[in-house]
Amino acid sequence: MMIRIENFTFAYPDSDKPALENISLEAAKGELLLVRGKSGSGKSTLLYCLNGIVPHIFNGEYSGRVQVNGFSPGDISIREISKTVGTVFQNCDSQIFMMRVEDDVAFGCENLRMSKDEILRRRDEALKVMGLWEMRRKETFKLSGGQKQRLAISAIYAMGPKIFLLDEPTTDLDQDGRKDFFNILKQLKSEGKLIILAEHQYEGYMPLVDRIVTLDNGRVVPSVYASDGHPDSFQGYGSLADIIISCKDLCVGYEKGEPVLKNIDIEVRRGEVVALSGRNGSGKTTLLKSLAGILRPSAGCLTVLEKVNPRLETLTGNVGFLFQNPDEQLFTDCVEEEIAFGPRHLGKEVDIEKYLHISGLYDARSSHPQTLSRGQRQVLAVTSILAMEPEILLLDEPTTGLDETNWGRLFSLLHQCVKEGKTVVFTTHNRKAAGTASRIIHIDEGKIVSDEIRK
Amino acid sequence: MKFVNRNTLFHRLDPRTKIAMSLMCACLIVVLRTPEGLLVLFSILLATFFFARPPVAYVKTLMYLMGIAVIFTVISQGFFYYFEPKTSILTIVPENWGWIGKMTGGLAIYREGLIYGAVQSLRLCSAMVLSMTIVMTTYPSDLILGLERIGVPEKVGFVVTVSIRFLPAIIEEAKRILIAQKLRGLSVKGVRGGFEVMRYLLPPLIIDSLRHARRIALAAAVRAYTGERTHIRTLRFSRTDWIAVVISTFITLFLVFFYGGLL
Repeated sequence: MMIRIENFTFAYPDSDKPALENISLEAAKGELLLVRGKSGSGKSTLLYCLNGIVPHIFNGEYSGRVQVNGFSPGDISIREISKTVGTVFQNCDSQIFMMRVEDDVAFGCENLRMSKDEILRRRDEALKVMGLWEMRRKETFKLSGGQKQRLAISAIYAMGPKIFLLDEPTTDLDQDGRKDFFNILKQLKSEGKLIILAEHQYEGYMPLVDRIVTLDNGRVVPSVYASDGHPDSFQGYGSLADIIISCKDLCVGYEKGEPVLKNIDIEVRRGEVVALSGRNGSGKTTLLKSLAGILRPSAGCLTVLEKVNPRLETLTGNVGFLFQNPDEQLFTDCVEEEIAFGPRHLGKEVDIEKYLHISGLYDARSSHPQTLSRGQRQVLAVTSILAMEPEILLLDEPTTGLDETNWGRLFSLLHQCVKEGKTVVFTTHNRKAAGTASRIIHIDEGKIVSDEIRK
Repeated sequence: MKFVNRNTLFHRLDPRTKIAMSLMCACLIVVLRTPEGLLVLFSILLATFFFARPPVAYVKTLMYLMGIAVIFTVISQGFFYYFEPKTSILTIVPENWGWIGKMTGGLAIYREGLIYGAVQSLRLCSAMVLSMTIVMTTYPSDLILGLERIGVPEKVGFVVTVSIRFLPAIIEEAKRILIAQKLRGLSVKGVRGGFEVMRYLLPPLIIDSLRHARRIALAAAVRAYTGERTHIRTLRFSRTDWIAVVISTFITLFLVFFYGGLL
């Protein structure tokens, strides 16, 4: 057995409840183990116990035994462990250290103080196996999300570990990125690597999965497959109402080069729930930003709420916009104040209590927003936009990283506002999320490929 | 402002050569006192800058920055020149002008002040041209490798690398926070508006940067980072580098002896 965990219990220093409780687990060479569970269920902690982050960086109380490839992670340094255990985290941006792709792939090997020839050999092999050879000289910040993910995995691959720990590695990836990732998993498996994958959206990888471990509140529970039904559906909404967004021949671009969006024609009616789907870089976020007046059209005509080619300032309060990262839109130091922020600056009288209740944040109303879980922060960010009671709600990838509970909360919030006659437009690369909309517009390379109204 | 990939002589120089040249220039900027000497230094630096084939946008930025530096130093020195003797060329508030005169001690533009300001702004501009040339012609990790080779500790070098790598991300984030504020109805008017913006900008920016920093630290740990590293990039100190160092040392000594007031 490469990994053997026996009756392992671990608690973080400031917590009265163990993050992992009485875990027993075994895994062998060539296996792919899927770890499922809500956010906060202990998935990441389990991985930290295997790569030495617990107890070397996060120390706490623990009992039981962890054995990885014959050693106990507490006994040797993280550097030593990294020769056997490779870890890829969710946020690929914070794992890239160098400015150039090939330098970043070599970084881990340089730290292991291999000989120069060895480093170059491993670097080039990793680049070739992972399909990054063509872009080895590229600057890392110019890569797409999927390419960054591939770079993060290549950089670990070059270090030659036998065990791969992947902590929600595809959260930010689109459908193509996921297909890519599927092939990478297949490659690693064929080389006999042991893979432990912690992931919310695992459906696509099931053919490769050997075993499933489901965690709930730090314990292993019997695995049940999630249903594929769409209880959140908005199908049939808003097909007869008046038009509130219209784009005619709309082109939008950044300062230089070709426009990102080319000749877009769309009309959106009041009460519709529109999903903009498409790959990373297809232009869906650009479209969403131009609807909010954050980006201005370079050609064509955009009318939002009867304002032609509107500026951000003229739409404030009537159009709400959710950025991908909720933390960039939580400014204040308590939840209640956060929800009241928008209405107060707009001079609107709003029933804050109501919003605290429907968001499920009533009990947390005096907490600091940044102490909430990531899912709760996302729900709070949506709520504080809803509280301004905008006519149109624009959401950029609202379901990224949400577990089932917070997913449910988000959709009950959206149902609430659609019932009140509001219009929702959101971008997504998640099929399940797109499937709930009353209309799906598919964008590719800045053009509308399909526009489907669902009844 | 960042590295521009061109193949000029200055791009090919070893980063250590460039560091040595910058140190010499830094000394000259402090040591040279006469306008003529600084003008010669500035001209050499400006020539080097254009020799490295800067993009038009960079030239514009440089001109703009230098323009501001010159105007501000010359005007402020013109008014507030302290040393004697000084000749007033334009009196704005005479000394005997009631209480304003008493309070200000008279306000005038002085000829010596203008000259002194011009000299100072030459110093500022030289520093600007110098740093811009270095940044433009040196691949960042090479510059850091150069620093490490001349004795700067590896860990300091890594901190600098990581900062350069992540700074653009933080700036982007700040921009998005500012837009999110606007979308929530926060309007910027006057100084108070500016303070409001800062009050709601800094907490999320700092907290998110700290979160980011923690993620970076974990990612570095699992990539075996301990502060010791075998570099695959190596630096080569070629004959051109020796020639460049010798020539710049010669120019430095020449300037110091002829314009540094030592002779």
